[in-house]
Formats: sequence, C-alpha cells, structure tokens
Amino acid sequence: MLEIMAYGFMQRALLASALIGVLCSAIGVFVVLKGLSFIGAGTAHAAFAGVALAFLLDLNPMGMAVLFGLMTVWITGLLVEKGRMKLDVSIGIFYTSTMAMAILFIGFMKGYNAELYGYLFGSILSVTPSDLMVIAGLGLVVLVALFLFNKEFQFIAFDQEMAEASGIPARNLFFLLISLIALTIVVSLKAVGAVLVYAMILIPAATAYQLTRSMKGMMVVSILCGVFSSMAGMFLSFIMDIPSGAAIVLLATALFFLSVLFSPKRRNPLRPVRSQES
Amino acid sequence: MSKPIIQFSKASFGFPGRIALEDITLDILEGEFIGIIGPNGSGKTTLLRALLGLIPPVSGQVQIFDCACEKLRCRHRARIGYLPQKDRVDEDFPVTVFEAVLMGRFSSIGLLRRPSRADDEIARHALEEVGMAEFAERSLGHLSGGQQQRVFIARALAQQPQVLLLDEPTTGVDMPTQQTILELIKKLHETLRLTILLVTHDINMIAPFVNRLALLKTKLYAAAPPKEVLTREILSQVYGKQIMVTEKGVVIVGDYHHA
Repeated sequence: MLEIMAYGFMQRALLASALIGVLCSAIGVFVVLKGLSFIGAGTAHAAFAGVALAFLLDLNPMGMAVLFGLMTVWITGLLVEKGRMKLDVSIGIFYTSTMAMAILFIGFMKGYNAELYGYLFGSILSVTPSDLMVIAGLGLVVLVALFLFNKEFQFIAFDQEMAEASGIPARNLFFLLISLIALTIVVSLKAVGAVLVYAMILIPAATAYQLTRSMKGMMVVSILCGVFSSMAGMFLSFIMDIPSGAAIVLLATALFFLSVLFSPKRRNPLRPVRSQES
Repeated sequence: MSKPIIQFSKASFGFPGRIALEDITLDILEGEFIGIIGPNGSGKTTLLRALLGLIPPVSGQVQIFDCACEKLRCRHRARIGYLPQKDRVDEDFPVTVFEAVLMGRFSSIGLLRRPSRADDEIARHALEEVGMAEFAERSLGHLSGGQQQRVFIARALAQQPQVLLLDEPTTGVDMPTQQTILELIKKLHETLRLTILLVTHDINMIAPFVNRLALLKTKLYAAAPPKEVLTREILSQVYGKQIMVTEKGVVIVGDYHHA
C-alpha cells in the first residue's frame, strides 16, 4: 500500500487532490449558504468549452478556461442583479450553449484527443508537475482571498442587503466571490473533470450544512469532508483501478447521505415532510 | 433634542414613470422617535432605504449627519443601524446568535481585518441590551420570531449607531411579543439617546411610544405629535373616508387590506 507513494505521479495526485479538496469545500460553504449552486454547473461547462477552444487553436488551456469561467460567472452575476430574466432559464441556456460550443470545437479537431477528454472526466493520476504548480498557485490565490474576506463573505451569504446597508461594499465582494468560484472550478478541472467538479464544491458543504449550527463549524466540517473524500477517493481509485473523479464524488455523496441520516436537524430523514409529497 | 440629524428637502425618489416618494420635506431632530405610517405601497420602506443611501433622490436632497445620503462613506453608514423587514431565518441555517450580532461590527472593523476582543465585547454587550445574552451560542434559526427580532436589533446596536431605522419590527410576532419589542425599543431610545425611525402599518400600537408620527402616501401628509395626526380630517386624506377615530384616539381603518 505505502510503496505506491514512491511514485512521483502518486505524490502529485495526492497533493493535488488534497489541495482541490480544501479549495472546493471551503468555497462550497458560501455557494451553499448563498444558494449559488446554479452558477457552478454552468461555469464548469463553459470552462470546458474554453479548454476545447484552446486545444483547437493551440492556446493555453488553463488560460482559456479562466477566461471562459470568469465571463460566465460575471454574466450570470449581472443577470442575478438585474433579475430581469427568469434565472433558471437564462442559466439553462448558458449552460447548454457553452457545452454546444465545446462539442463544436471538438468537432473541428482531427481525431480523438485523449488529453481533452481528461478535462471532461478528470484524470488526477496524470497531473504533471507544471499542472501541480498551476493548481497550487491559483489555489493559493483563492484561499488567501477567502481568508482575507471571510467575514464579509459570511455577512453576504447570510444577508447581502443588510451587509450593503451597514456599509460593506457588498456588490464588489459578491463579484469577487463568484470570480473565486470560477477560479476554483478551473483549478480543479483537469483533476476531477468538468462533469464532476461541481459535486466537489457542493457536496462537502451540503454535508456540513446538515451537521453544524455555526458558520465557523460549517467551514471546518466542510473542509474535513472535502479533504477526506478527495484523498480517500483517490486511493480507492488507485487500488480498485476505477476513475478517480467518480471515486471521489461517490465517496463524498456517501458521506452526504450519512450526514442526512444522522443530522441533528432531521428527526426522521426517511419520511419526507408531508408538504413536499403533495 | 436639538439640531436636525436628518433633513429631507423637496426630495423625490423612484424610477422614471414610477414615483415612490414625491417632494418630501422633513427635518428629524437628534434623539427623536418618529413613527412612519401609511398604507401599503406608500413609500415607507423607500424612505428608510433612501436614508441608507441605497436609492439616490431623483430630485431634491436628503442629508444625514451633514452628508448627502447617496454619498455616505462606509464609516458613516455604520452609524445607521437598520432592521429590514424580514422573514424568519431558515431553521437550518448554520449561524449562531453571536455570529449574527458580530456581523454588525464588520463594517467598522473594515476590510482585511479580523474582529478584535473589543468587538466581541461590543457584540456581547449589545446582546445584553436586548436581553438575549444567554442565547449567544444558540442557533439563530431555532429561536422564535420575537427572539430573532431582538437578535437583529442587537446586531444593529453592535454597529454603535446614532440612528436606528426599523422596518415593521413587530410583524409576524404575537401581540404580547409586539409589546415587549416596542418596550425594548423605547428603552433603547431613552438610555442610548438614539434617533429612531420606525415604519409600521399598526398606528394604534405605535402611537403611545413616539414623539411624532409621519403620515405618508407618496407625499408627506403630516409630521406632528400623534394627537395632532390621529384625527379623522388628516387620516382620511390617506386612508379614505372609511377611517374612524374613537374618543380614546383608537384608529379603525375601514378596508383592512389598505391598513
């Protein structure tokens, strides 16, 4: 078991999964509390479209992913603010059209590009030293920003109008927050893939939501769940020879269901509330 | 009570084609307790939001602390405590009472800095002021509507404000709790010498507590002590002919949907 640690690719994969675990689960707290789940799913697919375009035009995949990711969250953020369109509809259009763009770009390419599909389904074992540098660098930016603006993000997640009324630059900080969400998705793209990255953000935080009654507690529990499921999932993937992204996300999902079962907030989780049935 | 702390001069608010408040001229003195009354959609909440600098006037001016509201610097905003009209907090939302009150300190602390021990002290003291100190570590969502309202008042107090803006602070709680909350606000007004603007649709409940009532329906119809405002002549301009004022000064609004 321990000898696998001697391999460079395994060390990198372990480090990458730990970093991504921390990153996704920390930002996930604000995503869940502020109810921004819809932003993430669309962003992941838009970022993938960026990667596909980069492969087609021989550009830097991460750079294009950042560009597409940020554009998506900013446009979504503006739509949220204006509240003009029905949000689920506009996000749905965005989400599917960026995916269509990705398919279009792939169609223009000659032959099958395995590396590109790695961005779709994730391949944590193929993380290169330079990938790791990018993950660590961008990840550090996100974590430092989360640390520095933690109290403001808490306030915004709890009550944005109130935060603004008390003199906090809530609008700017909201756009910073969604930009950090986009960066987190891009950072995690190669390792867990566009299809599954959003689960990494949502599930550990949702698990922590079930189990905690303070914002501080939710952050701690979410990070613990995120790191545990990504590292344990990666080991499982290596030992059982199954795709790493799937192993990580399914492990996180299992933790989530356990948390629902044992949540102090649910008296009987197996019996849904009547009003939800009707 | 001395100099005006808030001054509306011929101020109008709204969007092109839909005016929410028109030609408001009103001075509010330091330390005054003002009740803002009027039917639904009469612009009561808009008046508070204008003071917070969230809506700039389309014409005229509104000033607070000798500074145009729409240009309020963050430091000044912290001096205005605001209690928005709010549904109950989601039962499962993971935030403790203390965490929620400490948020009141955040704008004074400023960006990039962490709350100090002094901020913790101020938050605890604010909880004591509203009689909720023993609930500090409890989950906010698990408290009753009235208790949550006290916590939000504590958060506003943690800002160490000079002015308190309260939007329907007694909706959604039972009658005895309404009274307790109003007694608490009255106590804060007296002990902390706060200037208070309280928006409500419940004229009878608020009348005994305030120095003046401001009667709104897009325009300002009156701003005077309750006895002078609560007459059939004045109220009927806003509430229609069905309004009744009994000998004891109790107001009965004919169509309840407009009350």
